Amino acid sequence: MACLVEMSNISKSFGGSKAVDGVSLKLMPGTVHALMGENGAGKSTLMKILAGVHQSDSGKIFRDGRKVGFETPREALEAGISTVFQELSLLANLTIAENMFLGREPVTAFGTIDRARMRRETRKALAALGLELNPDVLVSELSIAERQFVEIAHGIKADASVFILDEPTAALNAADVEVMNAQIRRLRDDGKAIVYISHRIDEIFGICDTMTVLKDGKLVATRPLSGMTPDSLIALMVGRELQDLFPARGTTSSETVLELEDFRIDPDSKPLSLHVNKGEIVALAGLEGQGQQQLLRSLAGLYRASTGSAFIKGKALPLPAQKPSGIRQLQARKVGFVPEDRKEEGLFLGLSIAHNIAVGLSSVHGELSIAHDYREAIAETMTSMNIRASGPSAPVGTLSGGNQQKVLLGRYLASGLDLLLIEEPTRGVDIGAKAEIYNLLRSFADAGGAILVLSRETVELIGLCDRIYVVHGKAIVAELPAETATEHQILNAALSA
Amino acid sequence: MLPLLIAIANSVYLGLRTDQFLGSENLFNLIAQAMPLVITAIGQMFVVVVGDLDLSVGSLISFTTAILALDAPGYVTIPAVFLFAVLVGLSNGLVITRLNVHPIIATLAMQYVILGITRILRPVSGGTVPDIVIQSVGGSLFGVPMPVFWGIAVVLVAWKLLHGSRFGLHLFAIGGGVANGTPDAARNFGVPDRRNILLAYVACSCFTALAGVFLAGRIVSGDPNVGLLFELDAITAVAVGGTQLSGGIGSLQGTVIGALVLALLSNGMNLTNVSPFIQTAIKGGLLLLVVGLQTRKKMGL
Repeated sequence: MACLVEMSNISKSFGGSKAVDGVSLKLMPGTVHALMGENGAGKSTLMKILAGVHQSDSGKIFRDGRKVGFETPREALEAGISTVFQELSLLANLTIAENMFLGREPVTAFGTIDRARMRRETRKALAALGLELNPDVLVSELSIAERQFVEIAHGIKADASVFILDEPTAALNAADVEVMNAQIRRLRDDGKAIVYISHRIDEIFGICDTMTVLKDGKLVATRPLSGMTPDSLIALMVGRELQDLFPARGTTSSETVLELEDFRIDPDSKPLSLHVNKGEIVALAGLEGQGQQQLLRSLAGLYRASTGSAFIKGKALPLPAQKPSGIRQLQARKVGFVPEDRKEEGLFLGLSIAHNIAVGLSSVHGELSIAHDYREAIAETMTSMNIRASGPSAPVGTLSGGNQQKVLLGRYLASGLDLLLIEEPTRGVDIGAKAEIYNLLRSFADAGGAILVLSRETVELIGLCDRIYVVHGKAIVAELPAETATEHQILNAALSA
Repeated sequence: MLPLLIAIANSVYLGLRTDQFLGSENLFNLIAQAMPLVITAIGQMFVVVVGDLDLSVGSLISFTTAILALDAPGYVTIPAVFLFAVLVGLSNGLVITRLNVHPIIATLAMQYVILGITRILRPVSGGTVPDIVIQSVGGSLFGVPMPVFWGIAVVLVAWKLLHGSRFGLHLFAIGGGVANGTPDAARNFGVPDRRNILLAYVACSCFTALAGVFLAGRIVSGDPNVGLLFELDAITAVAVGGTQLSGGIGSLQGTVIGALVLALLSNGMNLTNVSPFIQTAIKGGLLLLVVGLQTRKKMGL
């Protein structure tokens, strides 16, 4: 059978790092093709190339045997390739029908938009998915699941034969996942090819026929799923030996720095308790989006629903923390919160390195106190963190990802804190910078600090940490010593919960 | 809805309190007074819908009256006015979409440029406006004063552009993306965003020039200061009319009502002898009140 799309030897670099490196992929009609890999393996980049969001540096794409190249998502859609990305692309201020036809609105003989026809065809496309939504409803009034269905309907209306679903179920509840899967099977039975990206292994086995595993931008394998087991799939995804990236573990004292008791992330989630001792690095591991992030953020007041009690060095932290004061409350207790997205939430990209570090140092003083001279402290931090830049006045936005991340961490390490809550300590940084960051975190812990960290990269947590809590369904389902833990064990603990 | 209620309450109050208000003379006068603001606010709305602002409209109005009051026949000056308006809109749009200058800066600069040229052309008010302009504003047809026809025509054209054409829908789409923090969203649907934003500025300038023509017909001369602060009144009217200043949400009827509320307010306060200084303060308070009370992210009023 002829394949609908063939991607051949695709490569794409961002800055210096290769996001996709010589990957080939064939999509057959009537199949659901799982695209697997750890975060940063290049799945999303590969699909964005196919969808016309990014352009590949080298390699060819064939559509029904013809060579094609997509400059924009619109061109890809016109060639029959429809995409539902994690970040939804519908315009919330327009109606369903307007979104469906945007850019190609039918016009009447008088030159006005043919709204009757838009309504009719929208209803038809929605009906093909078994949905009954009023085409005149604003997209902002739809649930996340409904918006995703509208995006799929958008593809159906454009007569697409290839559907790319990038974690379509990440934001859905169990009932909606069932509906979504039914829709995917329906598309498959119509002879469409579906690319399915998900981190939920059980879903992959429930719905997919073929799978391709990527790792560090390279193709690992493409196989039919029938011969695979969850274990062999995980083995393919993990693949690599634990490199010699991680510093030796330290000794932990019995002094508790952070303690959570009867803590509920949401009012109706299971209570959990955990503790972090002085000198210890503790991980929150598990599948993506299981509540690790909400747990950390609720301590900082960025996620409000939590209840329970939290103690920092024996003193109670009032919960739920309030958004305007949560971070300052932590700061007053010598706790730092290092957010995941350094560009959006962490750094001031337009300001200098010195400014970005001094923000942490001066935040402990009152607004009207006289400015201190931080030049020495900043220079010290830059040397100890090995931040490579032209000088302290270089704008942070001009640095590489690794150096940016070091500036972000430097801000907190320089402010003399006792406990760090860190999200994704090495997101989007290269391997060399990763090793340096691991060393910095370990020496912070050895100097009497404590760290609670979460990461999508389980390998990193195993190598870096002392203890691992496995989080699933907003509850802690297992506690493992990191020294003996394996990725397999952690995935198993999460999946069997 | 709040502005509409204010307008109705205001009218009822004035109708009961004063004898003049409901007189047909005052009502037609009110329409004529409100018309320049209505037209300018409608033009401004094209730009606000994509999340931008045009501050050059005030100067453009003065400039238009100055051109019309030049010593030249109407068949030269009237087309010239619109030609200049298109040029102003084009250069605003090009500077913003191609050179990536912030709209406030780009149009502020344009405001100064036009203001300077206007003062060279006509340092103090004076000159005469072509008869046809005066007739079309001051005259009447079938016993109905001309401003009524102006209003109907402008609203019809604007309705067609904003709510009855692909252009208008695309403006709302672009603005919705901008307001959501995804400025590329509309482009990803295949909407030519830069061209549409450019055309929004051109539309804004053309409506503004039309308002200038109307004003010139009313004051029967050229005046370098007649458009002063008009841009702020226009933005106020658009905001009072429920258009979200970050873009994507708004309606034509809202803008018209917003402009009428402002006009009614000043008409009413003039009739009840409120000091113009207090009027200005009340206008500011109204803007704060209306925008503060609005539940955002809802269509129209």
